[in-house]
Amino acid sequence: MIEAYLIHLLILIGIYVILAVSLNLALGYTGLLNLGHIAFFGVGAYTSALLTKSLGVPFPVAFIAAGLFAGLFGFILILATKKLKGDYLALATLGFSFVVYSLLLNWTSLTKGPLGIPGIQKPSFFGLAISSNVSFLIFVAIVCVVSCFIIYKIIKSPFGRLLEASRDDEVGLKVLGKNTFKLKAKAMIVSAFFAGIAGSLFAHYISFIDPSSFYITDLILILTIVIAGGIASFKGSIVSTFIIILIPEGLRFFEMPSSILGPARQIIYALILLGILMLRPKGLFGRVDLE
Amino acid sequence: MIFNQLLANSLIIGSIYALVACGFSLIYSTNRFMHLAHGASVVVSAYMLYWIFSVLGIPFWLSCILTLIIASAVGFGMYRLVYLPLQKKKSSNVILLLASVGILILIENLVLLFFGADVKTIGYIQVQKGMEILGAVITPLQVFIIIVSVILLVALYIFMKFTRLGRNMRAVADNKELAGIMGINYKRIAGFSFIIGSFLAGIAGILIGLEQNLEPTMGLNLMIKGFTGAIVGGITFVPGAIIGSYLLGIAENFGIWWLPSGYKDAIAFILLFIFLLFKPSGIFGIDKGIKK
Repeated sequence: MIEAYLIHLLILIGIYVILAVSLNLALGYTGLLNLGHIAFFGVGAYTSALLTKSLGVPFPVAFIAAGLFAGLFGFILILATKKLKGDYLALATLGFSFVVYSLLLNWTSLTKGPLGIPGIQKPSFFGLAISSNVSFLIFVAIVCVVSCFIIYKIIKSPFGRLLEASRDDEVGLKVLGKNTFKLKAKAMIVSAFFAGIAGSLFAHYISFIDPSSFYITDLILILTIVIAGGIASFKGSIVSTFIIILIPEGLRFFEMPSSILGPARQIIYALILLGILMLRPKGLFGRVDLE
Repeated sequence: MIFNQLLANSLIIGSIYALVACGFSLIYSTNRFMHLAHGASVVVSAYMLYWIFSVLGIPFWLSCILTLIIASAVGFGMYRLVYLPLQKKKSSNVILLLASVGILILIENLVLLFFGADVKTIGYIQVQKGMEILGAVITPLQVFIIIVSVILLVALYIFMKFTRLGRNMRAVADNKELAGIMGINYKRIAGFSFIIGSFLAGIAGILIGLEQNLEPTMGLNLMIKGFTGAIVGGITFVPGAIIGSYLLGIAENFGIWWLPSGYKDAIAFILLFIFLLFKPSGIFGIDKGIKK
């Protein structure tokens, strides 16, 4: 029993590590205050679920398509919010989350609306099915490590330093003849791509998705993870994912009914977020302030 | 006439949005950050009315007064406990925005914890047969909602225009430093704007509690409508926010003439998005400090 529970937690942590690290690429390293990350996660989950279930597309293709499609949404979002900054950018990207959520909820002919999509198949590679949770954990671990490695390489590369430069002094970088919009767009697309991949993993692991998984409650969760771990801290996001996902699990030992467990979990996340913002806005390992 | 009916519906819902939006816009204009937890004041007010009136059985008008005091206190409490300490640390307004989302989630879930997720009804007013005005069916309560909102919005305008506190608020909204030099204590003014804004949110909470069932998630939804209204009209300009809210009500209700009614909320989001992209300062707002 306990092993099954631990494996479940580790799979979730693996998925959220990808989400947190990719959000930190946009929010921390590039300085784009993106509150639309959860929408990319949702787009990825729905793309992968619908492709495999309705069209019978093999999993690896759907998996990549989920990332690419989310990346396309990332490109649309950055193109649309090109001229905004600060809290207006935050509000526009939050609005984007709402728009995607209400599309998922209302486009019933495609997404089945609030009923959600049940019975999403477990992933399989060329006949090799990943059916047990242990093998799914191995699969998530591989995807997670590869994703983190790619993002780590990006942020340590000259390109990554340009991203940080555009966050710290955009005008200065423009003077040096760099196209800062192009930089930001690339960072956003990569960030959205990995969120889409995480969405695909999530859909095929839980095997049931509905729009409520991709709304403000989960947005708060990933924002709390990234801010608590530290803006522009790769290590911070990973450590913080473990901490933030595991803290509310302590509640399970108090034998609470689920009607209390759900709100209690949200209250804990909200208090952590407020506490971090008020006491240490840089987070655990953060290097820069949130502008 | 379907046109008149839709217009009546637009006016009813627009009035509620306007009450939320003008409080939001008032707080934004004196503080320059987006107080998204404003929706939480609406929820707290609606549930407090339910608790004081329907559970404790205190007379209705007294319950309303108590509810409004609590709503104002909640708004002021958010300012003193969270926003003011953050402002003292010179936090950027992005941090304040994130903190406000945190407060919204916190309060929404506290309500969920204490009252449960099942739908509550206040049940003060019996469901009445609507009367027909120019072919539109409208209940007495809905007429009451429109009248109360219009009276309050006019009162707010008079308050902002002709009283000393209102003038000081407009001065702070216009230029905080200059107002400070002239001897206006802008922290006090900011506190007052939270009290007045949350009071108006409290009224919106009471009215919507009488008209509809209560759900803990309604705060976020009303907040989205409120800030859409404020942004469409111009967030820094309170009368603009009011006009924007009525426009949003009209857009929502006439939109479902062509679209399935499930898209009612989507219309608001899309309107919000379009304005943020093409005219973030709104119809009547000032284009200051928004774009690069």
